[in-house]
Amino acid sequence: MSKGTSGLSKSQAQAESPVKQILNFLSSMQLGLILLLLLAITSVFATLRDNEAAITTIYRSWWFIGMMAFTALNLLLCTARRIGPMSRLALHPQRVVSSDAIGKMSVKRALKMNSEDIALDAARSAFHATGLTVTEEDGAEGRVVFAQRGKFGYFGSLITHISLLLILLGAMYGSLTGFEDRNGGIVGDHIDVEKGELHIDILDVRMEQEEDPTIRPRVFTEMIVKKDGREIAHGTVSINQPLRFAGNTIYHMTFRYVSDVRVKNLTTGEEEMVQLLDVDQLQLDADGTTVHIMQFFPNFSMHADGMPYSKNYKPERPVLAGILVEGGRAVRNVFLQLDTPVVIETANGEMELELTTFQNAAVFSITRNMGRPILVVGAVLLILGLYLSFFLFPRRFWAVYDKKIATLLIGGRSYRNRLGLEQDMERIESEISSREGE
Amino acid sequence: MPGYIQVSASGLFWENTLFNVAVAAYILAMLSYLVHLFGKKEFGPFASFVLRLAFLLHTAFIITRTINVERVPFVGHFEFGNLFIWATVLVYIWTEWRLKDKYYAVGAFLTPLAVLYIGYLTVVPKIFTSVTISRLHSPLPPVLQSNWLKLHVSASVFGYAGFTLAFAAAVMWLLKVKMGERSSLARALPQTKVLEEYMYRASAFGFLFQSIMIISGAIWADTSWGRYWGWDPKEMWSLITWFVFAVYLHARFTRGWTGRRTVTLVMVGWVAMVFTWIGVAWLLTGIHSFG
Ligand code: HEM
Repeated sequence: MSKGTSGLSKSQAQAESPVKQILNFLSSMQLGLILLLLLAITSVFATLRDNEAAITTIYRSWWFIGMMAFTALNLLLCTARRIGPMSRLALHPQRVVSSDAIGKMSVKRALKMNSEDIALDAARSAFHATGLTVTEEDGAEGRVVFAQRGKFGYFGSLITHISLLLILLGAMYGSLTGFEDRNGGIVGDHIDVEKGELHIDILDVRMEQEEDPTIRPRVFTEMIVKKDGREIAHGTVSINQPLRFAGNTIYHMTFRYVSDVRVKNLTTGEEEMVQLLDVDQLQLDADGTTVHIMQFFPNFSMHADGMPYSKNYKPERPVLAGILVEGGRAVRNVFLQLDTPVVIETANGEMELELTTFQNAAVFSITRNMGRPILVVGAVLLILGLYLSFFLFPRRFWAVYDKKIATLLIGGRSYRNRLGLEQDMERIESEISSREGE
Repeated sequence: MPGYIQVSASGLFWENTLFNVAVAAYILAMLSYLVHLFGKKEFGPFASFVLRLAFLLHTAFIITRTINVERVPFVGHFEFGNLFIWATVLVYIWTEWRLKDKYYAVGAFLTPLAVLYIGYLTVVPKIFTSVTISRLHSPLPPVLQSNWLKLHVSASVFGYAGFTLAFAAAVMWLLKVKMGERSSLARALPQTKVLEEYMYRASAFGFLFQSIMIISGAIWADTSWGRYWGWDPKEMWSLITWFVFAVYLHARFTRGWTGRRTVTLVMVGWVAMVFTWIGVAWLLTGIHSFG
């Protein structure tokens, strides 16, 4: 790395005021590295815990967020401090150097040549052949040929750091201004999402079987979203296809089966329709005779040991399974097949249950994340910054002719790629010698 | 309700045969690189040839697998592991081709790592019954049917490939320094400076792809689950790996760290990477445990 890029030198720092010293420390790479290592080590321990517990006790704790904030501050200060010097270094290179300066460069060559014109001409075309951009200027000691390549590489780390800041900022802004909620329903339902003051009308819930019926089917929910009575979005939500509008997103999370069950009192002839979901309880009398709904099986079957299961998602043999509970004790299983009544004795007399239809309910997560555009910009910049950092390496060469010793002097400097610089220099040298041989 | 794709007998035969032959060829390549390293220089080009052949066979296996599962072969330990080994060998072959024969010695360290990974997919499940590497042909559940998944997995195998190469160079560095210039083995290895450069390039390559993997994973999680980051162990371990390599890359350039300290960082980073792949699946739990 060339000198003077990392801001202040040691001796300067010692003469600084305490405030400056603190700023220097806060913007220093040492602090950055320590913070990164601390974050890594804390995360290792956090992953050993149960995920939910880790989120509440570690990732959302004041000290973990504090560490991230410190990292952000460190990045911000270090970026702010380097942006000026770095731009100057990248965009305003020193085009004229002395032969002494070339002598001090890490990669250099001294080639005996008789004429200044021929020597500089050779350097110029060798630079061109190496893919460098060449300019020339007169200096105190004569003409200096300057050549460079990859100057945008200087901005790589700056862009990377800015992108990380944007990502942190976007995440913070998103979580401060956003919300997360869960809700769901069947066709015709109207859902109020209080947190976002949204209102969702479910127009349709449609299930599409996969080619392989053992794979969980896709469910498509057509909906209209309203705010203050006005429609603001209309679309279909399914897995991997959320509906997005104005920073809000509605994601499909999962689906449920909703069973329509007719309950008829055979003694009185009274009849009612109920809608049942898994884990619902259907109370049949005042004594506590209840059917605890366990699960809906679209294609019911039973293992040898009597355990019910669904062969796949094809609705070939739909069964709603529950457990009959009397006086707090489980008495027996109740399997309601489509259009097949089951009679249960209760204190109110015989009750007849019948599964008449079933349908799908979709469950969504509804979120607002206003930080998304910032995150996207951050993500793109991160990749760009890393590419510039690692795959464009800035290099610069200077050629002067020293008349006293009739020698062409070439020196090179790179920004973090000594080996690449040496390879370029070898190429330049061989270009020059091959020209001489002509 | 596990569902599996019916694969024709010939499809199955080719898949298994190509896998076995590719594995045998990788082992032969490893042995040839080792013979080259231990003094029989003339084995270098042969080793390199066998490795390229093994790579082609492995490619044919992956194509057959793709045809058999009727989708991208990106799911589960077996498929992911194969892709990752394939990418690692591809990147190595590319560097060998760019850098020429001086670098055959790296092959003697890279191929054992590839064979080690293959061992995890084939031998380890036979020893530890709790480790199950399923080779069944299962279809892609809807949540995984996303273009972001393709980008996510492609980036991750190249990230892992870069870190594996960096680790190979780190091991070489350590051996060279430990054994001293007297040992002929140490003399057969490139200079420590060159190894450090190799380690850096490989890490930077891996780091770029690891970053793409994390970002595409976050975007995909956002479209499927409604959140970018769930702090689940797989996500966290890939971030930990990324942190370790970030520290290495910074320490090397801005703090001027070289030698043992950077080699240690790269080794720690590799361990974190392997843990992200293997440890998280068997020792920790999370929604990523499918792959
Ligand atoms: C946490 C505080 C951090 C500080 C104080 C810091 C500081 C620095 C400094 C001073 C440089 C050298 C710049 C140059 O000479 O071009 C650098 C380079 C770089 N930083 Fe950071 N950095 C931090 C975090 C990160 C993180 C988290 C990443 C993400 C991966 C990152 C990525 C890079 C890259 C890619 C480079 C250029 C490569 C190199 O020169 O090694 N930095 N950083």
